[in-house]
Amino acid sequence: MRRTDERAIRARNESAWLVPTGQERTNWALRGRMRRYDPGEEVDVAVVGCGAGGGTLTQRLARAGFRVVAFDAGPWWDPDRDWVSDEAGSHKLYWTEPRVISGKDPVALGSNNSGRGVGGSMVHFAGYVPRFHPSDFQTLTRDGVGADWPISYEDLKPYYEHIEEELPAAGEPWPWGDPHDYPHSAHPLGPNGEIFRRGARALGLRTAVGPVAIPNGRFGHRNHCIYRGFCLQGCKVNAKASPLITHVPDAVAHGAEIRPDSMVTQVVVERGRATGVRYVHAGREHFQRARVVAVAGYSIETPRLLLLSATPEFPDGLCNDFDQVGRYVMVQGAPQTAGRFSEEVRMYKAPPPEVSCEEFYETDPSKDYRRGFAIQTVSPLPITYSEHVTAQGHWGEVLREYMRDYVHWAVLGSLCEFLPRAENRVTLAEETDARGMPVANFSYSQGENDTKLEQAAQSVMEDILRAAGAEEVITIKRYAHLVGGCRMAADERSGVVDRNLRTFAVPNLYVTDGSVLPTQGSANPALTIMALAARCADHLKATARSGVVGEPASAR
Amino acid sequence: MTGRRHRRDAAPTPGGEGRFEGYDVMAQSPFWDPVTAAVVRGRMAQERALAFFTSEEADICRALLDLVLANHGAPRVPVLEMVDQRLFEGQTDGWRYEDMPEDGEAWRRTLRFLDQDAREAFGSGFASCTGDQQARIVQGVQDSDAWHGLPGRHVWSLWTRYACAAFYAHPWTWNEIGFGGPAYPRGYKVLHPGWREPWEVAERGAADPLPWSHRVEKARRAHELRLGGRA
Ligand SMILES: Cc1cc2nc3c(=O)[nH]c(=O)nc-3n(C[C@H](O)[C@H](O)[C@H](O)COP(=O)(O)OP(=O)(O)OC[C@H]3O[C@@H](n4cnc5c(N)ncnc54)[C@H](O)[C@@H]3O)c2cc1C
Ligand code: SF4
Repeated sequence: MRRTDERAIRARNESAWLVPTGQERTNWALRGRMRRYDPGEEVDVAVVGCGAGGGTLTQRLARAGFRVVAFDAGPWWDPDRDWVSDEAGSHKLYWTEPRVISGKDPVALGSNNSGRGVGGSMVHFAGYVPRFHPSDFQTLTRDGVGADWPISYEDLKPYYEHIEEELPAAGEPWPWGDPHDYPHSAHPLGPNGEIFRRGARALGLRTAVGPVAIPNGRFGHRNHCIYRGFCLQGCKVNAKASPLITHVPDAVAHGAEIRPDSMVTQVVVERGRATGVRYVHAGREHFQRARVVAVAGYSIETPRLLLLSATPEFPDGLCNDFDQVGRYVMVQGAPQTAGRFSEEVRMYKAPPPEVSCEEFYETDPSKDYRRGFAIQTVSPLPITYSEHVTAQGHWGEVLREYMRDYVHWAVLGSLCEFLPRAENRVTLAEETDARGMPVANFSYSQGENDTKLEQAAQSVMEDILRAAGAEEVITIKRYAHLVGGCRMAADERSGVVDRNLRTFAVPNLYVTDGSVLPTQGSANPALTIMALAARCADHLKATARSGVVGEPASAR
Repeated sequence: MTGRRHRRDAAPTPGGEGRFEGYDVMAQSPFWDPVTAAVVRGRMAQERALAFFTSEEADICRALLDLVLANHGAPRVPVLEMVDQRLFEGQTDGWRYEDMPEDGEAWRRTLRFLDQDAREAFGSGFASCTGDQQARIVQGVQDSDAWHGLPGRHVWSLWTRYACAAFYAHPWTWNEIGFGGPAYPRGYKVLHPGWREPWEVAERGAADPLPWSHRVEKARRAHELRLGGRA
């Protein structure tokens, strides 16, 4: 377990001490005291989207004295009143405005991919927070596939460490990639985790419990996990991390304004510089002036917003002179394999994220594919599990019989590093939303390497479950974790933002969410997105100090 | 074995199926937080007028949903009403396939096509066909690449997503499958495979009364029989 200094964490981010103790999960007094800015007033930074990237950036900048307004299209959640301990009742957590999916392998969005509201998709993310491996930053050089990042693992490492302390991450010492410890020790295992470990042990595969963004032990005023298994429905307990409780409270305490239920419809650019954002709140349009704009609306909405913000100066959309916006959107192949055990498993107990195995993460020269995959426990609740069964083609009596057997099944999931492809992209569809704006069309097709990886991952999961004693295994092919679409690159011909997440085209416009990832590794992305946003905040602070043109004057 | 009949009043399961005898997840509702309890209880309020489907569409849709879910005997989960409500509220999954219309329109159209197929093949509307006839039509959609100009698998995805999301949201199905349901603020304390919370109910008989392979084989045979001996 890594030694941490509570004082140092609080000096960086006091959020965990700003959530209330006692019977409420929301600090209403803090929300009531929030500073408010006039739209006509020019703030230092307008942040579009208050999820993993936007929430982290807002907190870091507010603490440094920047005047920040963070917009979110969705509500500012109260876990007590707004969230339920129920699958179907959690539908409102997802981004369900219309979107079109296409390509050879269309990717389901909504509940499977993106969230809406303060906290972003992390409100209903599972909670795994592994780091990327050092190799992820150089896949082109090392393996001849994917892309090299304009930064290295070492550039991000200090930010990984800080964010891990702030979430905080709990888990066993990590043997893969850059080996490291976690600030909190591993949680006790649930039934699904025990089965994974049993199977992996029989095959001689290393596993590690965690890393999950759920404190194990005291951390500020956050409550302890009650092992109720509804992490993907929003944690009513305030145990599982999301920016709603890990970064937004501290941001508000330091003068940031959160403007919920406010959908940004345009980043306004005049004479080559961003001047603010147009947004719709309660049916009315407003304009917020800002010296710097940071877009963090997720890999679908971020490219869409840039494309919608076209001007005569940028006729094909902002920052799109080289046809890069919306390209190289990635999803991890995420097949899940279920195994049938004669004993009762009852996988719905304990958080779905429990145990990981990254033994197959790196390129294995003996294989006919590059890069690799990770394996983790996933523990679908009944509705999600029914998709697993119908994916086998079962319906009627057979579907019912499989479902009736729910307590006997354990499920593993893998994350396969599917490679970036220029033709996997977000464009504007002809269909329009309720505001008359074209919706996003996300086209996706798998490559050959991807399909091989997916097969390999499936057979390893089947082996593990069989080694644990499964008498039958069934697999569903699916995708998880959309990233890319405005990737970070060395120059404007190969990406949208530079190593500091500043767009090449507009010097005071940034992209600070998962869209900037050039490759995706086999790790869940949220920690990396938060680390990148925290790093971008340091860059903004430094440029503000040095008085670089167009940077916030008030923070100088 | 698809299960003996339960005493309905005590712990209802769809069609009285299931092996967790006496397990009634709603008996736990006093231990749930009030917001969740209200959402789940609201779902069980059965008397809902149709708001989205016309009565003709509703008949076809009910037949389709009950067939796909084998939702036959009493008590019957009001799946049609749940799907109707969802479509009325426009509560989509947040995406549609490029080669499919928006969900509401896709439902209306595919129900019409089902009826058309039934008239052509069996001379009567889908809702008044026998279960076996309906099953053959529906299996045809699952197996087809293109069905009335729509990709069969995308139609299938639409139907099963809506059907299962409604059915497995209903507490009677939780009773049937032994799922613990909402678990806040109580949570779980007993986390080992094979162990149960004091309020969870064991399957009838031993932990695993009849071999799984027998049970699923029996269900498969029943299903195939419906499809007219299809292998
Ligand atoms: C079911 C599920 C499980 C997951 N599990 C994991 C996991 O275990 N580990 C992990 O690392 N990751 C996981 N993820 C993925 C992770 O949550 C996302 O990758 C991450 O949150 C993305 O961060 P982001 O900043 O790009 O966007 P988000 O966190 O989605 O934030 C974007 C925000 O922007 C807002 N927004 C969008 N457009 C606008 C606009 N025009 N105006 C105003 N606001 C706007 C949205 O409402 C949203 O709140 C999971 C995701 C899902 C769906
Ligand atoms: S299992 Fe723990 S972390 Fe997950 S939702 Fe429940 S209390 Fe929160």
